[in-house]
Amino acid sequence: MLLFLIRSLEAAMIFTFAGLGELVDQRSGILNVGLEGIMLFGATLGFIAAKTTGNYLLGFLVGIGIGALLGLLHGFFSITLGVDQVVSGMGIWIFGFGMTTYIGNPHTGPLGLDKLATWFGVSPFFYLAVIMVVLVWFVLNKTGFGLKIRSVGERPSVAEVSGISVTRIRYMSVIFGGLMSGFAGAVYALYYNPVWNYNFLMGWGFISLALVFFSMWNPYILFGGAVLFGLLWQLALNPQMFFPGLASRYIWRMAPFIMTILVLVLISSKWFRSRWGATKPESLGQPYHKE
Amino acid sequence: MAKPNTKEESIELHGDIWKHIQPGEVVLDAQGITKRYPGGVLANDHIDFKVKAGEIHAILGENGAGKTTLMSILFGLLQPDEGQIYVRGLQVRFRSPEDAIKMGIGMVHQHRKLIPAHSVLENILLGHPRSKGVMNQKLAEEEIMALAERYGFEIDPRAKVWQLTEGEKQVVEIVKALYRGAKILILDEPTSALTPLETDRLLESITNMTQDALGVVPFITHKLPVVLAISDEVTILRRGKVVDRLKTAGATEQMLAQRMVGRPVIFDLQKEPMEPGEPVIQVEGLTARNNKGVIALDDVSFTVREGEILGIAGVAGNGQHELAEVLFGLRELEGGRILFTGQDITRASVLDRWKLGMGYTPSERTEVGSIPDFTLVENVAMNYYFDNRYNHRGFLDYKGLRQLTEEIIEEFDVATPGPDVRIRTLSGGNLQKIILGRVLSRQPKLVIANLPAQGLDVGATEFVQRKLLEARAQKAAVILISEDLDEILSLSDWIAPMYEGKIVDMIPAAEAQKDDIGAMIAGIHQEERSS
Repeated sequence: MLLFLIRSLEAAMIFTFAGLGELVDQRSGILNVGLEGIMLFGATLGFIAAKTTGNYLLGFLVGIGIGALLGLLHGFFSITLGVDQVVSGMGIWIFGFGMTTYIGNPHTGPLGLDKLATWFGVSPFFYLAVIMVVLVWFVLNKTGFGLKIRSVGERPSVAEVSGISVTRIRYMSVIFGGLMSGFAGAVYALYYNPVWNYNFLMGWGFISLALVFFSMWNPYILFGGAVLFGLLWQLALNPQMFFPGLASRYIWRMAPFIMTILVLVLISSKWFRSRWGATKPESLGQPYHKE
Repeated sequence: MAKPNTKEESIELHGDIWKHIQPGEVVLDAQGITKRYPGGVLANDHIDFKVKAGEIHAILGENGAGKTTLMSILFGLLQPDEGQIYVRGLQVRFRSPEDAIKMGIGMVHQHRKLIPAHSVLENILLGHPRSKGVMNQKLAEEEIMALAERYGFEIDPRAKVWQLTEGEKQVVEIVKALYRGAKILILDEPTSALTPLETDRLLESITNMTQDALGVVPFITHKLPVVLAISDEVTILRRGKVVDRLKTAGATEQMLAQRMVGRPVIFDLQKEPMEPGEPVIQVEGLTARNNKGVIALDDVSFTVREGEILGIAGVAGNGQHELAEVLFGLRELEGGRILFTGQDITRASVLDRWKLGMGYTPSERTEVGSIPDFTLVENVAMNYYFDNRYNHRGFLDYKGLRQLTEEIIEEFDVATPGPDVRIRTLSGGNLQKIILGRVLSRQPKLVIANLPAQGLDVGATEFVQRKLLEARAQKAAVILISEDLDEILSLSDWIAPMYEGKIVDMIPAAEAQKDDIGAMIAGIHQEERSS
């Protein structure tokens, strides 16, 4: 039972890292649906780097590096070239899926290194995730830089006449988003599930993406959602533990997505909008062209 | 000029040039500003003007006279091909708005440049040097309140911008520019979205500002009374050239208009007396919600007869737009009934309403009124595709439609190379003429004209208004929705001021007083009544 809770929280920390990156990305107006692809890259390359050198730190750095690079690539497509962001993101996912399968195949199997230490039974990354949540919230809401990010995501033309470079802020956000996803992938492959296998990420990138919508672009709700999704995921692994004989694990795995759809229905309802105003960044997914 | 090393230094450096300023000294001097657009259009042709500290210098001109181009150049959005700009004697080159802001130039745009989801405070702080690092919102709030108080602005820094009225939003923009240290304030058509009351208050605040040796440059299209009320000097532009430069004292509306348009303008439209005929449209208890789900139209009833113009006066967002949509079947009704020539059309489709003889000219001319990439003929066809004269068992008679379009172009004096060009190539005034023309050519029994002259220049405005009076003379009923009280007063037979979704009163034109109506659309009469 305790193990069940710990594993849930550790799943939550990985959702949180990837989700926070995507949240900042979306607050600046860029939608990156290629999260899964970036995480796969971070996981696979991080795994190979750590396995071949025996150095964990190098593994994480490689994960972060490839994530940032793919974020930059998505930025180039969606900011500089003004390509449809969904198309670019899907491209990154498909590319990541194919490429990592090809690169990772020879390394199929366990990592073969000593397992990383824990603090009070939970991975230190969990505490890092909590700190990051507070930090991202603080930067977005209390600093001038955060105001710039939010403004660029709402009305880029307004930011531009206020003397802000939309392009620069969006690039910074999209690289941060990629970097966090790459890191999340590396944590997954080097700590949570250190056995490389075909499609071993099992859609966690998509869960993290759904989480951002679920959070209504608020880091604290995102963290709460991550814990909830973490619990649901563990439940999906062993549904017999609580509900013997009730639906298969594959059905249970859909739970996070069903909940996200319910939240999306709620926040797009007339009732919610008239009560809370619009919560979605107004320019999300729209390329900006300077006049 | 020494080259500053860092951003902070450059702000300080430029801040220095604003020290020890004397009222009356030239703070902005534009010399020979010339801008040529690709295709050879000369938008600005050697424009000179000077702004003095403590002075209001109005720039007057019709649409297309080059005002927007000049303004964009002064604010660093465009680069001039020729000419120099001097700020307090220092020659400057603006590569971006940021450069202009640093030199003490602030701009208040006609189309609001604010972020609706953010608070007033966040909007003001955006891009401000104070917002570096962790924002000290408390200190900023105090400073902003002090600044607002000084010039008599009312402002709530914690409110979200989407909750504000147009007038309040404009105040936020002005305060934002002043808080960034603007010494020269450029206002683009500052009164276009305001009620008469808000306008008066704004003009008062602007006058207060000039006492602090601020130079103010309002750009104004055809609001001649505003020019006369506030400005010290006025520069008149026509076709990219300065045609006149004069002291406002001693000028008259008639004379300014003539210089601006280049020919005498008739202010009094010929409105023939009409005997009202049968009721065309009767509505009872119309109630509807806006897009946010809030009641926007609250128990509205009225009747319009043949040969009558009902003028719906009001400030944007008080339900007029929803009223127009409800009347034409574009918005769901929550309650109420619509009778058209005695027939209940509450649930009739838009197509049925066209066929019955209703016509609608939307205020969103490029989104709802036309399809920009269609030709003139195709756009005209949008109001005729269902008409048996042009639709033969599903086949459109393009030959006939083309001829019809040519007739409209002729009758409505539309400037276009021909009926087969895309409608997006037309200017705003010509687009409106074709939209109005295709509706009036159907000889409708009822015309709903939603902001028919908004944003048009003096010439096109006069034309559109004359055409509406002609429709009235042909016994059509007209519902005119307008934010311009002068337009309402000169065209209507009945005037219905709207405030917060309700029709406040129904006034016959002969008894209408501009001040009363101005107060009603600002909600003042209602408060008095309830207290």
